[in-house]
Amino acid sequence: MTELPDFWRTEVFHPLSVHFPIVLLLVATLFKIISIWSKKAMWESGGRVLLILGVISVWIAVYTGDQADGIVSRQLCDPTVLKEHENLATTTAYIFTMALVIDLLLKFVESFRKKSVSIVLVLLMIAGSITLTLVGHLGAELVYQQAAGVNVPSEDCSEFN
Amino acid sequence: MRNSIFKGLIFSTILLFFACGESTDVVESGTYQGTIKEVEPAKTEIYVNTDDDKTLELYFTDSTTLTRNGSNADFSELKEGQKVEVEVEKNGKRLDPISVKIME
Repeated sequence: MTELPDFWRTEVFHPLSVHFPIVLLLVATLFKIISIWSKKAMWESGGRVLLILGVISVWIAVYTGDQADGIVSRQLCDPTVLKEHENLATTTAYIFTMALVIDLLLKFVESFRKKSVSIVLVLLMIAGSITLTLVGHLGAELVYQQAAGVNVPSEDCSEFN
Repeated sequence: MRNSIFKGLIFSTILLFFACGESTDVVESGTYQGTIKEVEPAKTEIYVNTDDDKTLELYFTDSTTLTRNGSNADFSELKEGQKVEVEVEKNGKRLDPISVKIME
């Protein structure tokens, strides 16, 4: 009889952690876009808090992804998709990390407080959001087309009896 | 000063955008000679640059044989820059190493 694998296996921590940066960084970008026009400080500071949390979570997702890679790669029919997913994810993490550095300079260094710097920050975050979306799409391809990290139950479902 | 820092950050971002990651190639089943570009012991994985300038990403399987001078070798003997001969089997776009011979 086939045995049901443990749920808390290494490759499962990646899908568990990956949705946090997707939400946090996309909403942070939205807040920063609004802050360009809005005079309310909430958009500016709220965007910063989301960006900080998003950058922390994106590096956690990169780490858990690297852990999953060693297990999942051996089972994929097209690991080149995984490579592309990894490369783009690392690029995305660096883009948002740079955005965070610029945002913190805007907050704490007087001479950086210029509209042009805020616009560059938003453009950088929009670029990061585009690559983040592509990373998510590639991740979904890995799961839904190649069953990456997914346990495929036996035909008679005997492991659930 | 402020402009220099700002330009530096933007330049670094653009540089990182293009520099992140490495691309790998898919080749037909067969035997290839090349040099080890990178060894990842935790994943029992190696990257091999072939003589025709392709980069192969190879995850060792339970059936992969590793030899040196005709005798079995341990994965820890693999080092960056070593000349190797690899026999790979292409399954879909995945390259499974059947054998890896350390040439030096």
